[in-house]
Amino acid sequence: MRRLWFPAAIVGLIVLIAALAPLLPLMDPVRQDVANRLVAYVPGSPMGRDEFGRDVMSRLIWGARSSLAVAFASAAIAAVIGTALGLLGGWFRGLAEVLAIRGADVVLCFPPVLLALLVVTLLGPGTGTLILVLSVLYLPGFIRVSFAEVLSARGQDYVEAVRALGARTPRILLRTVLPNIAGPVLVQVSLAVASAVVLESGLSFLGLGVVPPTPSWGLMIRGARATMEQAPMLLLWPCLALTITILAMNLLCDAVRDVADKRGGGGAPRLRLVDRLLPGLFPAPAAPQPLLDVQGLTVEIAVPGGIIRPVEDLGFRLDAGRTLAIVGESGSGKSMAATAIMGLLPPAARVAAGVARLDGEDLLRMPEAARRKLRGGAMAMVFQDPMSSLNPVHRIGDQVAEAIRAHRDVPPAKASAEAVTLLKRVGIADPERRARAYPHELSGGMRQRVMIAMAIANKPRLLIADEPTTALDVTVQAAILDLLAELRREEGMGLVLITHSLGVVAEVAEDVVVMYAAQVVERGPVAQVFGRPLHPYTRALLAAVPDGDVEPEGIPGVVPRPDRWPPGCRFAPRCAFATVACETPPPLEEVQGQAVRCVRWRELSA
Amino acid sequence: MWWLAKRIGLSLLLMWVVATIVFLALHMVPGDPAEMLLSTGGAMPDAYAIQELRERLGLNRPILEQYGAFLMGLTRGDLGTSLVDDYPVAEEIALRLPRTLELILAGTMLAVAIALPAGTFAAVRQGGAFDRAASALAAVLQAVPVFVLGTLLILVLAQWLRWMPAGGYTPFAEDPVRHLVLLSLPAIAVAKGLAATIFRMTRASVLDALSRDHVRTARAKGLTPQRVLRRHVVRNALIPVTTVLGLQMGTLLGGTVLVEYVFNWPGLSTPLLRAVEARDYPMVVGIVITVSGLFLLINLAMDLIYAALDPRITRS
Repeated sequence: MRRLWFPAAIVGLIVLIAALAPLLPLMDPVRQDVANRLVAYVPGSPMGRDEFGRDVMSRLIWGARSSLAVAFASAAIAAVIGTALGLLGGWFRGLAEVLAIRGADVVLCFPPVLLALLVVTLLGPGTGTLILVLSVLYLPGFIRVSFAEVLSARGQDYVEAVRALGARTPRILLRTVLPNIAGPVLVQVSLAVASAVVLESGLSFLGLGVVPPTPSWGLMIRGARATMEQAPMLLLWPCLALTITILAMNLLCDAVRDVADKRGGGGAPRLRLVDRLLPGLFPAPAAPQPLLDVQGLTVEIAVPGGIIRPVEDLGFRLDAGRTLAIVGESGSGKSMAATAIMGLLPPAARVAAGVARLDGEDLLRMPEAARRKLRGGAMAMVFQDPMSSLNPVHRIGDQVAEAIRAHRDVPPAKASAEAVTLLKRVGIADPERRARAYPHELSGGMRQRVMIAMAIANKPRLLIADEPTTALDVTVQAAILDLLAELRREEGMGLVLITHSLGVVAEVAEDVVVMYAAQVVERGPVAQVFGRPLHPYTRALLAAVPDGDVEPEGIPGVVPRPDRWPPGCRFAPRCAFATVACETPPPLEEVQGQAVRCVRWRELSA
Repeated sequence: MWWLAKRIGLSLLLMWVVATIVFLALHMVPGDPAEMLLSTGGAMPDAYAIQELRERLGLNRPILEQYGAFLMGLTRGDLGTSLVDDYPVAEEIALRLPRTLELILAGTMLAVAIALPAGTFAAVRQGGAFDRAASALAAVLQAVPVFVLGTLLILVLAQWLRWMPAGGYTPFAEDPVRHLVLLSLPAIAVAKGLAATIFRMTRASVLDALSRDHVRTARAKGLTPQRVLRRHVVRNALIPVTTVLGLQMGTLLGGTVLVEYVFNWPGLSTPLLRAVEARDYPMVVGIVITVSGLFLLINLAMDLIYAALDPRITRS
């Protein structure tokens, strides 16, 4: 809001001074006094006199009056007529729409100044001509805005409701639709006024706008040009007045637009990239060394209310050639954990603690340059949405080849050939032709195959797949999972599969990590965890899987937001077995190769 | 290709609309257009002069015949003759249009060359010193009207510092160095508004592109930050910038009229302003149609660039 008040105050002050010009103790702005031509100062004229001995200050203020009068009048006329045309066009559609929208398009065919000059030729210069021309120029803006808003308003429930009540069209338009499009129209008014001041001054400067001797900033600059050497201030005052007015109006427009849009937030706060903490003193990994060893991984995001932790103390191990699944509902922190391991966290988030060792090297404390060499090389990732994850403006073959050339010194032609082989490898028919296609020309399943081709381009040791099948059809899902399983077997890579589908986990994974509200709640071999779930959350998830003709039991409620986590067990509010004991945070306990975070697991599994 | 044919067809259609509007404008004036053009400051023009002007403009022929003759003339490149000196309008335009084009081209190149890298850099270092300084400068530049900037440039660089001539024109063949010196100030003035807009748009667009999923994919491939920026951020960010550039061209052409006036650059604006003042209708019409045609042509070019940047346009 602060951004709104400052420019609004300046614009308000300028408008106020201009409006009060006749009441202010000013000299007559058109009275000439040849004896005092171009003097810098005489009593009563603090800004001096112009080339005809007229008082500069008085002319500046009266000039504001004529500029603003033209600007507000034309913006008001354009707003009333344009909004009316847009409303009618949007409401009645058909011929009204064609006339309103095509009419607006015609005006937009002309560069504005040229159209203005054409009209000035016909009608002669003057304030009336100016207002006419400017209102015509700003009509299209109002027509388009109100047209678009009416179209969307027409479908809204409240309009439907009033219509169903039998209200007459004019009444609906005036009482129901108009108040709701006021925001965008107001934005358009502020834009039109600011732009009208610019155009009016420009035309007056050319001597084709306001007619002398009426004072106007454009005319003052025009007049002062001839004497700029003797009296530069004469030129500078109107230049300054004009620039400050337009600047304040532009800032006001931006602010009004932000308020009316409600979407234009100030953006995420910029965070200082704090140096990573000192390397943790974790015990040396036990032999044999796992492919990926994650311990105590914690991710923090600073938000206006404080710090939230979307991932907290996450730990798991993955051996080469095996598959580990991370499951949990949306908002449990699965994806955030994966992007942290890859070093792809969004700018607002940072790793606060933990290690993630790939072949014994800690990915989290490694310099970015070294990690970049591993990304797409030794470790690769497949993302959830293959539509947005491919760049729409490059051919898919090029995007795959780019992954190859980022890590290996291969000539372009050879990389392209290899890209085709990769596309074939992931099961894309006619790979030579498909390599030349753009992402939007492929189906969702095809795109995800391309993403996988890209990920395996450099034979990664570790592949992280973040919900690789959620955006796809069921039949395609199975095919993609088969492909991943096959690649893992044949290439011997370790696969981390992030999913919310327990069916998928049972089918492809050997180990599973169950996450809830940033924490690991249960971890262990799939057969063991699914056969004997220790945590009530895991049980609830398993119960929610449709199984034959048994009705799935949904878990009541949703994952709480990271800033609203319960102080004790985070699942307690949704847990059927919660007791007083659950109000203190439970530790993660290790039991026979399985880990569980629940104080009551012993009683419950008995 | 079909897409291209449709787009060109649309441009031709718009050109016809422009010509028709310009033709009709004279007839939409309330009262007798000839009388209108001759009247200055309320004084009644004499009947003989009105009659003569009606003949000259062909106003006493049936309106459809006039319209047909006007459109036929346009297709042959015949825009009539000036009311002031009988000089063919088309010849006057042919002499001056190249100079205006040169100015627009120089201004646009300057604006793009400065604002694209500056906008990208400001976005990448969002909130940094450069970003804040450049954003503030862009806001001020957007607020200074083009003729104010031109006049101030003359005041400071020509009058006070005497580094530059205040304006004028020398043909390139005569003295290339002086030609370019004289071109520089008007080109800066033409570039200012466009540069401010391109800067703001590029900055916003790059910021938006940086947060896209495909940028994360590019990083996941292990590309160098420079390559991610060039191929996956800037390349995509250019698409909305092009759209805005096309929309700004109308303002740019209008600004050029003012700049030419301020710097005495002998492009289309000199005869245009002279003709508006003298109510020389055929000359005004000729220039308005030419510049509007130029406007449509630039927009067509922008659409082609847009299509080249975004494969989703033509191939879907």
